[in-house]
Amino acid sequence: MAKNEALFEAVLKGKRKDVAEIVQQEVDKGTNVAEILMGSMVPAMAEIGDRFSRNEAYVPEMLIAARAMQAGLNILDPLLTQAGHKPLAKVAIGTVKGDLHDIGKNLVGMMLKGAGFEVMDLGVDCDIEKYKEAVENGAQCVLLSALLTTTMPYMKEVVSGLAGCGAKILIGGAPVTQQYADEIGADGYSNDANTAVKATKVVLGLAA
Amino acid sequence: MKFKLISCEIFFREMEFLLEQSPHKIDVEFMQKGLHDIPADEMLKRLQAQVDAAAEQEYDTILLGYGLCNNGLNGLKSRGVQLVLPRAHDCITLFLGSRARYQDYFFSHPGTYFKTTGWIERDKIADELKQLSIPNQTGMDMSYAELVEQYGEDNAEYLWEELCNTEKNYSQITFIEMGVEPDDSFEKIAKDEAVSKHWNFEKVPGDLGLLRRLLSGDWNPDDFLVVPPRREIAANHTEHIVELKSGN
Repeated sequence: MAKNEALFEAVLKGKRKDVAEIVQQEVDKGTNVAEILMGSMVPAMAEIGDRFSRNEAYVPEMLIAARAMQAGLNILDPLLTQAGHKPLAKVAIGTVKGDLHDIGKNLVGMMLKGAGFEVMDLGVDCDIEKYKEAVENGAQCVLLSALLTTTMPYMKEVVSGLAGCGAKILIGGAPVTQQYADEIGADGYSNDANTAVKATKVVLGLAA
Repeated sequence: MKFKLISCEIFFREMEFLLEQSPHKIDVEFMQKGLHDIPADEMLKRLQAQVDAAAEQEYDTILLGYGLCNNGLNGLKSRGVQLVLPRAHDCITLFLGSRARYQDYFFSHPGTYFKTTGWIERDKIADELKQLSIPNQTGMDMSYAELVEQYGEDNAEYLWEELCNTEKNYSQITFIEMGVEPDDSFEKIAKDEAVSKHWNFEKVPGDLGLLRRLLSGDWNPDDFLVVPPRREIAANHTEHIVELKSGN
């Protein structure tokens, strides 16, 4: 797919006005909308994620790139739907009951969106019912976040509560470990926003 | 008995008050507040060094004035001397006197900051820890001016709301009155902060019982983990919070 270098750079550098402008120009020129998204914007988000994993970019850079990406998506989304473009999958993310921390959760959500997923943001303080509702509304993967050891044990209850629902469950957050994921029977774990995207692809059987 | 107490300075006034009443000889090492803000393995390294040094001396038991503290005590090893740790996620359990009381309060009062004398007069984190702290590493403690300089006005505004405004989900300050306050000045500071933020304010009585039992040697296994020599503390993510690591 053709890559628009200027668009790629604008997303990467978090220049949302430039992104919106270039996307609009491309749309006006009649460029294939899926190509704008998949050829330049998604690769830019993958690049910022990889830089983050290599400690070459930090949380603020990821956030502004994701925001710039969103500025482009605001224009593209209705056109993508019209063109029959399908998201990679539908996923839901929320911070567990009692926990109001949302920076990590938001970042993971934005990175997933940036990778081409449709993301339902359930917010913070989510009880089992909220996650269940998301699965009923089509979430194929549910991501749980917790920042405190006080709230982390609720993840176990959510995993039990969602048993047999068919959706995959991923967990993450500062105190969470792979060992804990294994212990409670979650399908996967990730320790940062970039690997969360990879883990989601893996559990859903999409090419990582 | 001869004990060594290694404690977070957040309990300074409470510990001083209780030490006077303890029947035991207790040497004390206060560690700086804010270790829970640095990566867990860094906090562990610092506490382990203190435990190792104390274990070289003639103590019957090393007492830990901590909770699990963001997993900072996960992996802490006893050497030749047993350790005793209250079963607690963090200091608020030790201020409220039981983890059940904290659990109830935590889930019925979401979005609450707790204040005590320690949380008011020792709230500043040392520069050396600040460098290592997770808020610093993630950019969360950048000032608005720094954000503008680095990311431009448009993105700065967004980053401030998204990343740096850590108070946006909070709505209450609860002052825990421990009975060690010299007057009502600490309560007033807590209350004024709540008023200035347009948050709720509540004062609840603290309970020194758990700390008192720690210092007096009354270590009920339901409330304390006793770590025999050459064993290791592990977080266990249940209502017991910590356990002995198996297999060592």
